[in-house]
Amino acid sequence: MVRRLLLIAALAVGWAQAAPPKHDMAAMWSAQQAVARPLAVAAAFDGAGRLWLARVESGQLKVAQSEDSGRHFTWPVTVNALPETIAAEGESRPQIAVAADGTVHVLWNIALAKPYTGHVRYSRSTDGGRSFSAPITVNDDRAEISHRFPALLVAGQRVLIAWLDARERQAALAAGEKFAGASLYVTESTDGGASFGANRRVAAHSCECCRLAVAWRGNEAMAFWRQVFDGNVRDFALADLSEPEQLMRASDDDWHIDGCPHHGGALAADGQGGLHLVWFTQGRARQGLFYRRYDRQSFSAPYKFGNDAAQAAHPAVIASGRTITVAWLEYDGQANRVWTMQSRDGGRHWAQARSLASSEGTVDYPILLARQGKPWLVWHSEREGLQAMAVVQ
Amino acid sequence: MRRRLRFGLMLLALSAGWALAGAPKPFAADTPAELAKRFAGKPYLLAFWSVDCPHCQGELELFARLLRERPDLPVSLVSVDAPELAPQVAARLAELGLGDADNWQFADARAARLRFAIDRQWRGELPRSYWFDAAHRVQGVSGAVSEAALRRWLELGLD
Repeated sequence: MVRRLLLIAALAVGWAQAAPPKHDMAAMWSAQQAVARPLAVAAAFDGAGRLWLARVESGQLKVAQSEDSGRHFTWPVTVNALPETIAAEGESRPQIAVAADGTVHVLWNIALAKPYTGHVRYSRSTDGGRSFSAPITVNDDRAEISHRFPALLVAGQRVLIAWLDARERQAALAAGEKFAGASLYVTESTDGGASFGANRRVAAHSCECCRLAVAWRGNEAMAFWRQVFDGNVRDFALADLSEPEQLMRASDDDWHIDGCPHHGGALAADGQGGLHLVWFTQGRARQGLFYRRYDRQSFSAPYKFGNDAAQAAHPAVIASGRTITVAWLEYDGQANRVWTMQSRDGGRHWAQARSLASSEGTVDYPILLARQGKPWLVWHSEREGLQAMAVVQ
Repeated sequence: MRRRLRFGLMLLALSAGWALAGAPKPFAADTPAELAKRFAGKPYLLAFWSVDCPHCQGELELFARLLRERPDLPVSLVSVDAPELAPQVAARLAELGLGDADNWQFADARAARLRFAIDRQWRGELPRSYWFDAAHRVQGVSGAVSEAALRRWLELGLD
């Protein structure tokens, strides 16, 4: 049944299900692990307005492109010939970015045999998506520990990969010490992904299982993530990935939790120096989904959105000049719905929220993209397949 | 008819097999009401966990310890893992010696639907627990339960 639904979903986006290749037992196991409803997809528009989609099928990352914004896709190209246990659910998300010169960069996470462990994998295509380079493991620490939740930033020849890394946590535990959370790590390529520099730590004590958000503020690669502050308070932090140990607290929600929210935030830059943050908290100071702007000097007051009684969750944000678009997911007892709200004045005032799409099956998080400067929603669901639509408010 | 009988027998065999293996019971949208009925007039605790939640493991160990001390502890453990992860869930419970606990597992991959049946505001953070007093007034707690809090609750509510 599930398989049939997946097939329908695959057909709906114009993909054909490839016959599963023959495996040995280990590969079968990994394929089985990876097939478990890999709903999390990655999508990006290139400069020409073509939609690129990366999704996981039977342990393989497959990349296809669409000339008509998602109605039809090209036959998918396999990135990793050898199936891997790819984590593509919820906070664990593959990544795709297309550089101005047409280089296609993809990033994903493989799960290792031990629970909560993984490696970060990267590949690129320099021939317009016809073929991909042999995948490399990005984390230079190869212990069977967590190197997960990778994020990707590409501008010209610069390729930054950031992820959450447990190497320091592991070292501390081995020495009989305590270590809160994991660490935020980064590596950078200045030759379009041909080679990467050494792994560098940006910050210690990130929350362990919340996705990272990244965006370019001019030449600065900014990251927004849930951090473990003193007293096991899991609020948000902001940092320039090029400046180690310089994080700034970005929310003061006071969410003391000895647990994992599995709920990262999102970040957008507006091209005018402003950053736009959306996140979820259940802190003492506030609860629910919030938006705020950061303009180098100060943060705006958190602005609450979404319906708490409908599990409002997993926000996304995109900025195009002064137009800021926010999307999030709700469940109203019947269906999952993607809601959007828009501001025309850089996040100072917001028009009334609208529901843009719904699904009664299992769903991925909403993804917001810019298509030639205009906000687009991309949403993957088990029953409807991939939906892409312009956000018009 | 015969086919239907054979099908019925097969189902019976399957469910018997599950019961023998100590597999969690399917947690559906009407399970919260079922549990409320079972614990009518009594306090009880619902604890949600998943195999991919590091903080849940310590809490499960705590429950394993307390259940050895007091097998009648009114605690139901609910895995929010998708149904196809049943083998991993059962393996983890067996490993912790929790195979005989009152175990449940989300019967629907649409976790939002089941969460909605328990608490409309719960976004899925884990571990998550619901503490019901004898009048079934409930308090939801996100994050691992501390042993001190649990023992205090046991003393106040159960003795």
